[in-house]
Amino acid sequence: MRTLLLTVLFLAAGAASAAAQQKDKDRRGLVWDDRPTIVFGKDITIGIRGRLQLDWRQFDPEVDEDTFDFRTARIGIQGDVTRHFSYEIEREIDREAQFGDWKDVYLAWKTSDAFRIKGGRFKMPFGLEQNTGPTDTDFAYRSLISTAIAPGRDRGAMVYGVLGRVGYEVGVFDDDGANAELEEERFAVEGEDLEGVGPSFAGRITGDLFRLLPMPAKLKNANFGLAYTNAYVPEGLNSLKGESVFGSDFFERVYVKGRRQRLGAQFDWTPGPTGLKAEWMQAREQRLGQSNRNEDLSDFLSTGWYVSGTWFVTGEDKDDNINPRQPLFGGGIGAIELGVRFDELELSSASDEGVAFTNPRADYQVPNADRTWTFGVSWMPIRWVRVVSNAIHETFEDVARAPKPGVSSYWAGLLRLQVVF
Amino acid sequence: MTLVIRRCLLAVMVVVGAAVSAAAQTSDDFFNPEILQRVDVWMNSADWSKLKAAFQENTYYPADVTWNGQTVRNVGIRSRGLGSRSSTKPGLRVDFDRYATNQTFLGLKSFVLDNLTQDKSGIRETVAMRFFTRLGIPAPRETHTRLYINGTYSGLYALVESVDKTMMGRVFGSIGDDVQNDGYLFEYNYVIGSPWRFAYEGSDLAPYQARFDIKTNESKSDTTIWGPIEELVRLVNDTASASFEATVGPRLDLAGFVRYIASQNFIAQNDAFNGYDGMNNFYLYRLEASTSHVFIAWDEDNAFLSSDFQITTRLSDNVLTRNTLQLSAYSSKYFEGLLDAATSADGWMQTEMERQFTMIASAMQEDTVKPHTNAEHAADRDTMLAFAPARIAYVRCEVAKTVGTTRPAGCPASAGQ
Repeated sequence: MRTLLLTVLFLAAGAASAAAQQKDKDRRGLVWDDRPTIVFGKDITIGIRGRLQLDWRQFDPEVDEDTFDFRTARIGIQGDVTRHFSYEIEREIDREAQFGDWKDVYLAWKTSDAFRIKGGRFKMPFGLEQNTGPTDTDFAYRSLISTAIAPGRDRGAMVYGVLGRVGYEVGVFDDDGANAELEEERFAVEGEDLEGVGPSFAGRITGDLFRLLPMPAKLKNANFGLAYTNAYVPEGLNSLKGESVFGSDFFERVYVKGRRQRLGAQFDWTPGPTGLKAEWMQAREQRLGQSNRNEDLSDFLSTGWYVSGTWFVTGEDKDDNINPRQPLFGGGIGAIELGVRFDELELSSASDEGVAFTNPRADYQVPNADRTWTFGVSWMPIRWVRVVSNAIHETFEDVARAPKPGVSSYWAGLLRLQVVF
Repeated sequence: MTLVIRRCLLAVMVVVGAAVSAAAQTSDDFFNPEILQRVDVWMNSADWSKLKAAFQENTYYPADVTWNGQTVRNVGIRSRGLGSRSSTKPGLRVDFDRYATNQTFLGLKSFVLDNLTQDKSGIRETVAMRFFTRLGIPAPRETHTRLYINGTYSGLYALVESVDKTMMGRVFGSIGDDVQNDGYLFEYNYVIGSPWRFAYEGSDLAPYQARFDIKTNESKSDTTIWGPIEELVRLVNDTASASFEATVGPRLDLAGFVRYIASQNFIAQNDAFNGYDGMNNFYLYRLEASTSHVFIAWDEDNAFLSSDFQITTRLSDNVLTRNTLQLSAYSSKYFEGLLDAATSADGWMQTEMERQFTMIASAMQEDTVKPHTNAEHAADRDTMLAFAPARIAYVRCEVAKTVGTTRPAGCPASAGQ
């Protein structure tokens, strides 16, 4: 613990010192460009990237979670190789200071703004918040839909770009995202072959819709998006599942087989120091031949949405890469942002006829939902350090499947120290 | 009256009649020992394959169950048993309320499908439980059933009542409106490699928790649940004979216990309370609002070992048995219990065995997943049918010899007689 704290303080101090340095456009060699960066020339760079998040948490009522959470530790490199290519390699570091999971590992061809290609492991183009890095989100934890429905990272290839004012991303991926990994070991009845998940296809278009309409100028930069994914999921207890903010299952996986589709809509508006975001998502999973009598069941549905609002009381522009106007070591107090978010995730079946059961092969599933309010205050004393405090209130519809059966409402308080370079 | 109206009325009468018939069925009908039942289980074919592949695990799978025209949907079903577990003919436990809180069928929350894999005759368990019931020993209701999985005949099983709160209500009845099933029910857990014969294992509750699985009142404190068990074991071990009945008696139905072990000995059960490898195969119930415990019979697949199974087998090995039978009053009750069992068996047991063999004959012959041949079944059938008369005579002779009363005619000569 002490070593970690020292590391954090060291990094924070180093970052503060570096911030004071004047950027030099003609730099070569090892320079500081928001992060330690090796510059070979104008278009060849190796930026060293690090992220660290340490959480202290309190729960009421107590749930089986640690008070201290070593949430995120990652190190990686990112940069450019000529003006045609960019890349990123990032890997997690676990509590024992050993390398863990690979995160982003990709190479992108970016010669043209209208047509770019990315290949490797990266986030599938679905979900506004899911595609925002963990150190850049407005709140300590992503909304429930961003972790339960949005697919997350996968190996694949994607074309993307901007045509006029419309952004597009279309990709094909090996599986169906890390958030939807198969739970059950694949099982085949004698004489049948094992099936794998995927490949999946994902696409998203985004655009400033209001620019096409006679709207007030302030609304012109409101960004809208629609996204869709499609994948084949093999037979098994492999559906999406409902997981609370702190990882307790409130809806366990059910048997699925067939097509998994996701549909998502997103909205992002950042006028000045304020931000307003909203997303809606639904996943539909087929359950072909999954009844107790090998008959088809109605689709399994995961549906949710959130809306959030934020405000930099210190006046920073939300649209920019956030940098405190008056950093702590520059005569100011840094940047302070307030925020509130409501989000909901409900899992159910398309059928609601007859008697509902929790049986993973029931046609009519007993629905359950988690509704969460998050209130947040973030303090960014300098560019690279952020202190986040969140109060989180979760309510579960089916108390029998709440983290503590019979108890429907939960409060949690969180204080996070975050260092990013 | 038009033809249409007449047909409608007929249809209504049929539906009402069927409903009345279904409503009239009870759990007694389900476990009716005079009838070979048919139970259909409908489960996803992948789940059935998984259950058989992972038969050592207690993973639940969803299923529908049909009996006598009534279907219960979305029950939970899993592999069960200890030595009887099988990948080809799994023993099964069916829970009606696994996926729907409070779902019951005929008032039952669950039942067991005993695969009979350890019993070539197929009737040891069912005859033993009916016999215990005749003797007034708490025992589950049982009969036989053909089991069909997804419409395919999957073997002859015993249909066994679960020992649970519902059964406790049936056995111990009501006082006024208060059903006497809120006591503490324990299933004895045979710990492999650690045979136990009621020796005191210290004041720590952990050893008793390991051996007595709580089945009711699970949310109560450990002290409330297992404290009285620890106390019972301690007092059984530490109390002198002179005060044994006064001290232990309020905590254990000693007369019922003696009757229970006498009956188990009569049916030559070698793997029970006074078993060859310590205690095994029973439930213990602490009566509602009481300190008193009673024993419930369970799993008699290995009964009827031999007609000359000694009537004093391992009576001195188990601390509870030994210390109870040291009291002359209870020693007498033990032998009386043996004679009562002989009397009850006389004229009934062999007839009952013949009836059950007749009832299951075709189902047994057609059971292709049983782990023995039809010839082996036939041989065991003959052995079983010979058991009752030989056992009755043997027990009567041996009791007379042991307690020093007049030996019945036909007893073999022995030294000193």
